[in-house]
Amino acid sequence: MIAGSRMRVPLVCVVAASLLAGATPPARAALFGNDPVPQWALDASKTKTPDYVGDAATVILYDEYVETIDAQGRATERERQAIRILKPQGRGSSCSVSYDVDEKINYFRAWTIGADGKQYQARDVDFADLGGSNLPILQFTEKTRLLHPPAADVGAVVICETEEVLAPYMHEQYWRIQGSDPFVYEAMELNLPPGMKYADTWHQYSPVKPVEASPGHVRWELRDVKALDVRDVKSRPNRVALLGRVSVHWGSAGVEGIDNQWRALGKGYSELEEHRADPTPEITAMAQQLTAGAPDFYTKLKRITEYIQKNIRYFVVERGIGGWQSHFAGDIFRNRYGDCKDKTTLLISMLGVAGIKATYLAVDDRRGVVDPSAPSFYGDHMITAIEVPAEVKDPRLLGVTEAKDGRRYLIFDPTNERTPVGNLPDYEQGSFGLLAAGDASQALAIPVLPPEANGAERKGTFTLAADGALSGAVNSSSTGPAGADVRGMLKYTDTKEQRESLEKAVGRDLPGVSLVSYEFNEPPDLEKPLLLDFKVTAPLYAKKAGPLLLVRPRVMGDVSQQLDDKPRTVPIALEATGRWHDSFDITLPSGFVVDELPDPVSMDTDFASYHSKTTAQGNVLHYEREYVVRMVEIPAARYGDFKKLEGAILEDQRGSAVLKRQP
Amino acid sequence: MKITAILCRAALLAAMPCVAGFAQTTTFQTPTPDELKMTADPKAPGAAAVYLNLEQTANDNLGTRTFYARIKVLTEKGKELATIEVPYGGSLKVDAIKGRTIHSDGTVIPLEVKAEDLTMVKAGDFQVKKKVFTLPSVEVGSILEYRYDINYPEGSVSSPQWDVQRRYFVHQSRYAFTPFKGFMTGIGNITSSQIVNRRTGKTLDTLAWSSRLPPGVKLAPNAEGRFSIDLTDIPAAPDEDWMPPSDSLLFKVLFYYKAAQSVESFWSDEAKIWSKEVNHFADVSGVLKAAAAGIVSPTDEEILKAKKLYDAVQALENTDYTRKKTESEMKTLGIKESKRAEDVWKQKSGDSEEIALLYLAMVRAAGLNAYAMKVTDRSRRVFDVQDLDADQYDDTLVIVSAGGQEVLTDPGEKMCPFQTIRWNHTLTAGMRQAANNGAGFLSVPETNYTLNTTTWTGELKVSERGEVSGDLSDVMKGQEALRWRQTALRNDDAELKKQFDRALAGVVPEGVEAHVDHFLGLDTPDTNLVAAVKVSGSMGAATGKRLLLPGFFFESRGSTPFVKAEKRETAVDMHYGEKSVEQITYDLPAGMTVEGAPTDATQTWPGLARYIVKTKATPEQMIVLRQLERAFSEAKPEEYQDLRGFYQKIATGDQQQLVLKAGAQSASGATTGSSQQ
Repeated sequence: MIAGSRMRVPLVCVVAASLLAGATPPARAALFGNDPVPQWALDASKTKTPDYVGDAATVILYDEYVETIDAQGRATERERQAIRILKPQGRGSSCSVSYDVDEKINYFRAWTIGADGKQYQARDVDFADLGGSNLPILQFTEKTRLLHPPAADVGAVVICETEEVLAPYMHEQYWRIQGSDPFVYEAMELNLPPGMKYADTWHQYSPVKPVEASPGHVRWELRDVKALDVRDVKSRPNRVALLGRVSVHWGSAGVEGIDNQWRALGKGYSELEEHRADPTPEITAMAQQLTAGAPDFYTKLKRITEYIQKNIRYFVVERGIGGWQSHFAGDIFRNRYGDCKDKTTLLISMLGVAGIKATYLAVDDRRGVVDPSAPSFYGDHMITAIEVPAEVKDPRLLGVTEAKDGRRYLIFDPTNERTPVGNLPDYEQGSFGLLAAGDASQALAIPVLPPEANGAERKGTFTLAADGALSGAVNSSSTGPAGADVRGMLKYTDTKEQRESLEKAVGRDLPGVSLVSYEFNEPPDLEKPLLLDFKVTAPLYAKKAGPLLLVRPRVMGDVSQQLDDKPRTVPIALEATGRWHDSFDITLPSGFVVDELPDPVSMDTDFASYHSKTTAQGNVLHYEREYVVRMVEIPAARYGDFKKLEGAILEDQRGSAVLKRQP
Repeated sequence: MKITAILCRAALLAAMPCVAGFAQTTTFQTPTPDELKMTADPKAPGAAAVYLNLEQTANDNLGTRTFYARIKVLTEKGKELATIEVPYGGSLKVDAIKGRTIHSDGTVIPLEVKAEDLTMVKAGDFQVKKKVFTLPSVEVGSILEYRYDINYPEGSVSSPQWDVQRRYFVHQSRYAFTPFKGFMTGIGNITSSQIVNRRTGKTLDTLAWSSRLPPGVKLAPNAEGRFSIDLTDIPAAPDEDWMPPSDSLLFKVLFYYKAAQSVESFWSDEAKIWSKEVNHFADVSGVLKAAAAGIVSPTDEEILKAKKLYDAVQALENTDYTRKKTESEMKTLGIKESKRAEDVWKQKSGDSEEIALLYLAMVRAAGLNAYAMKVTDRSRRVFDVQDLDADQYDDTLVIVSAGGQEVLTDPGEKMCPFQTIRWNHTLTAGMRQAANNGAGFLSVPETNYTLNTTTWTGELKVSERGEVSGDLSDVMKGQEALRWRQTALRNDDAELKKQFDRALAGVVPEGVEAHVDHFLGLDTPDTNLVAAVKVSGSMGAATGKRLLLPGFFFESRGSTPFVKAEKRETAVDMHYGEKSVEQITYDLPAGMTVEGAPTDATQTWPGLARYIVKTKATPEQMIVLRQLERAFSEAKPEEYQDLRGFYQKIATGDQQQLVLKAGAQSASGATTGSSQQ
């Protein structure tokens, strides 16, 4: 567990950013001497552990940031932190500072006050620098200096004091005011040079007014911010979207008004990427070759987007500002690899050759993290906003949204290599992004697509043997993001893994299942459904109970969630809109007759519907169901409705037909 | 010239791939037309990529290792091999990186982007970095080709490790090693060499090697003392459920500069050195004698003395379960690193190894004969006697002579009962001390499965709609109890309960919630550990006139292993034998009777396992018993079909249901027949 509230996350493209690295020699780890525990820490360590800590492993007694901005807008940040360890699992608590090639740690000092009051100071050997490269395709020059605190036992208070000169291009600080552990006291202080303005925005927390000591010198203070522990909460938004945070801007984005702030941020990003998308002759030639003879806007788009999706591999080493700024389009095109910013840059470049305007849309793949009411660069991904001319009314362009100036943008994610242009990855639907469009920059809503844009049709024909064995064939067809998910699985697995993945998925409903055969049919055209045909045998499908044979008509497909009765405080995430339809026929063994069938289920709400029915005709058991999701998120107050729906689904999925031997 | 050895598997270089290529291979190969147009490989069906060529060499006279690879990308997933990371540390240098991508039409795209040099970890003087590069313009069908050198300083030698078997199929591979010139004329007859092991200071006069290679492949030096092998068609590394540690199964070759003349002499020497070190640490001081005397009574039987001392050292802080003190902390406290068992006793704290050796010293101090035994951790590796690396031994057990018998103990495992051995220290090899300063080798036997039991009992009230509620208790003995007790050492009660609940959520029927209310015996390893669990929710399915329930409460998820996989390549490792019992009493809803229930049956895998089902019905209750006794923990590949057959019978038994019917029917008629095999 690493305590620490500040976070600067470069755009690392839908891959968690954590420990990041730097090529310059590390700054001196600490001024190691026999420094006494500073007075602020002694005072903090006397803070009583509040009653509201609950199951938290640690409590942050004190956490203070002081940001001092120079005339060029470069920040030097001091952090002071005191953490009390409450439980054995909190013994790993520590402090850390991340730094990149453009940054410098001035000092990192740490002490521990033991539960018995004894004081310890951390020495050189208690620090380590870690690189942040967990994935081969995504590497960082940024590093994290991590403290291994002395005497970090239950009851001890770990104290850290750091100062770091931040990257010159960073004119915003994220202040994470809430986490897994509660904060007793936290503060941020901003010291600006004369004449420089600032702006603060708050996410998931009521704004607090700062105290102004003098013009340009302000301080925010918060007390008793409770922890947010949602580990065991089902169907919830991403935790990061729920945590309180503050963004503080200075310089050009230090302006009043939310729209102005978004505009300033977008303009800043537009300037950062200026000329990056300029086409080279090779790019121009390729774009012209791809769009030659294209009859319409959609076809041009499709040819270029598919080219990027299929030919530009994901790989990058993020170096300093490279976490924010893409490579030049010519380099990306030549190497055929890049990250999300790079893919967007090349796409903008090629579309530009084809006469289609496009720009950057900075987003987060965790719905709800980008908050239209809290302007910020906070996000982890870059996608593309493609301007749709007024005269284009193509029904295949589903993911179109309208900006405040009336322009229509088609949202497209070139990093998602399997979702066709016009559609949208489900995790991005219903989110917001920062449209970087010069003076037209703004927060842009990403649309939620209708259920028809996503889902699966599954048809199965089976034969049941008298010993309970089930055998049969299944044909399924997946469209939209559901199809893209399967295509993604096929891309990143080999045959053995594909088989195992399919067996595992089917095996959740059919324990002991053997795949007799399977075939994925993946049309090159991403718009077309992904088809999967497979044959199975499940020797133990029908359950025996004395003279009875119990058959579950819903052979496969689990769309239920088991929910608890705890009071709901966070919204309910439904993940994706879509329509899923199953139709299964089971031919029953001779000598058996149906004695009972499960009841039909019919549930309709504004956010979803579920209908299922089992019938018996002759010796065939037929099951039919349709599940439709119309929203991606509903408020916590609708938990009762959601539970009712999920309960009905669960009961339907468990339902069995009872077969009896014919007398 | 006096040179020092870089031991490839030494800590500093742990992250470095012990690979190298032929320095002689200075140019890339021209692909054949067949290689260019290849879209799948019949020798590796379904593979995402295959190595066409792989070459590694080390030359200790030049201080160079080189690596060369040529890879055919067959699917999108295979593109992952286009990114290469070369970890390195210390004074090593990664150099001469060259690469290119060849498209299936023969177009060549050279690597032009400089490799990034990234830090992996840096702590004090210890640093591991890596060079990272990715090949350009990679497509499905491309051939990836690259090479690099790793140079080590003059005055050093290396002992390479050849990882012959890899994640992907290898068509052709070549490995070569040119030892330091003093070893070039033969084996075991080096008198002029002055190679000194940095760590031990011993003169290394023998070049040794161990190999696990495909049948028929032998490794031997040529007349000059150089080593090389050419291999073809090396299958991809196996990947199966319940495998032993995979690294211990793969084809590989290890070289060593050693001071021993043979495998036997190496281990004999290692055992003597280790035993001496043990005795030095476990020195029986006056302090320990006094401490032991305060714990045991002269009239105690030997086994009781051993038990009392065991309890005493177990009560000390074991820092592997809490936290090891940092250097600065020890300096502040004026504590020095424990050099002797006496220090551990005085500090009332030590890691598992120190606690084990303290126990050894304490037992000796009480006048009993006791011996240390160093064993391989079976969860990490399988001991290989040909691998001349004493680091294969991980942990220390203690053998106590008591009452004319040798008793094996595992004092380093906090919460491990006296005479119980944690599973990863069983069925594994070890070296032990013996009487008269002797030393020997032996294996730790398997623990009897009856010592590892999990017994679920309780009573659940069932409504006519399938709602259930009630209390269950899980009585654990042996390994399962140890696992949860050790989890409790690292977490508080609330977190322990959460973790237990999460484990339960995966085994109770869908729709049922189970939450542990409290534990009994968490702090007393000699007793059973009991988890008292509250159950509520709904399960099964209600029809118009029936209620259909899973026959076995904890087996409704159908997670029986081995049912699917028809073939087995590697041994099965289920860690330890155990007996698990589930006996649940269902209070039936009023007006409902049992129409169908699991059939009484006993299935056996003779001598190795037994599965028992018994039910008993009364008008108000149904009692269902399921018992699985697994007396084995490992099975050979040739035993797999028998093992699978047994588990298929279990799966068949477990899928049975309990059916309740509205209206009158004789409950006694519900349990129909029995079978035995």
